[in-house]
Amino acid sequence: MEVEVRLEQGREEPKVVILAGEETEEVRRLVEQLGKLRLDPVPVRRREERLLLPQETFLRFYTDGKGVSAQTGTETFTVPLRLYELEERLDQGRFVRISNGEIINLDRVTAVDLSLSGTIRMTLNGSVYAYVSRRYVKKIKETLMRAGREKR
Amino acid sequence: MTEERKKSMARILIGGILGTLVGLVLVPYVMYSRECPPLAVLACAALGGMAGLATQPFADSGRALLLRSAGHFILTAAFFALLVVELDITLDWTGVLFWEGLLALLYLLIWLGRWIGWYLEVKRLRELLGLSPGPSPLKWRETLPYLPFVLLLCTAAPLALRSIERAMGTDIPALTGIVYPMLILPVASFCVGLSLGKRRGLCPLFPVACFVCYLLVVFVLYNSSALFHCFLTAVPALGGNLLGLCLRRVRPTGG
Repeated sequence: MEVEVRLEQGREEPKVVILAGEETEEVRRLVEQLGKLRLDPVPVRRREERLLLPQETFLRFYTDGKGVSAQTGTETFTVPLRLYELEERLDQGRFVRISNGEIINLDRVTAVDLSLSGTIRMTLNGSVYAYVSRRYVKKIKETLMRAGREKR
Repeated sequence: MTEERKKSMARILIGGILGTLVGLVLVPYVMYSRECPPLAVLACAALGGMAGLATQPFADSGRALLLRSAGHFILTAAFFALLVVELDITLDWTGVLFWEGLLALLYLLIWLGRWIGWYLEVKRLRELLGLSPGPSPLKWRETLPYLPFVLLLCTAAPLALRSIERAMGTDIPALTGIVYPMLILPVASFCVGLSLGKRRGLCPLFPVACFVCYLLVVFVLYNSSALFHCFLTAVPALGGNLLGLCLRRVRPTGG
């Protein structure tokens, strides 16, 4: 498949046009995959300040009783969205829900550990811990396989 | 009532009915009698109910799993003890303890089976994430370098000390009978466990190895009355390993 990138000054959102001789299964899969890509920045708050940060900045999003928080490598922000709304907005090949109250960035996972009592702990960026609910393990594996992450 | 609770109740009910039927058929057969003690049938029904719930303790993870498993085991052990007593399978409490030990072993095997399943899931996750494979199952490979210490401490040292005592013509083997198993062995097991815990974290096979290696010595040097010596090495080994794990968490040393 030939890939071409054309830069257009002033364009804010990227647009993808697929040129094909006929509509094959491969083209349909490509459209489906591209359709799932969500690259919009995430709206967050730091006290009174409102910011739009790129998705790859974040390690995780989690509920903390008051609302949804977003953690980067250096600070934590408040997110004015519910976790399920956020899940719909995030890139589904990169972010995955690991429990009822937490979504993590799979690109930032540096270790996965298992305790004797079956608790699965993911380490993000080497120092932030996230605990995986067993009910979500299958979904995480499916997400990883769909994104073709094996033997990166 | 939640959907999960309804399912649990249905499982208990079905298990209880099947347990009652099994009890009515098997209890007279086991007792070589036409009588069927109601308490024995009640124990069978309760055990059937607990068997119906057997997958529930492992449905979750972490604290919930530990609490559910402990609760399930305590109740099952109580009904099982009642059945053992009612069926006159054993004459004294040590016999009941023996049967309870077998039940605990069964639990341990089920847990081990589940844990291997979880381990494979985590291994797959690591592969998909492109991470290093992680520790071996139950950290057996990490425990292996400590096996020579265990063999020296729990097998070679007591045998060598007994040979020395014999060579010296000692009447009372105080060293291998009291000093070594009561003092040296627990302290040394604790220290080795501590070292392993600090380096590698919790290694559950280490206390098991201590127990098994000393078991050989018990039957060579002593007799079955000294079986408790095995716990004098396994329990401090586990304690040291857990303390080492705590120290590792406070001040990681790598490895």
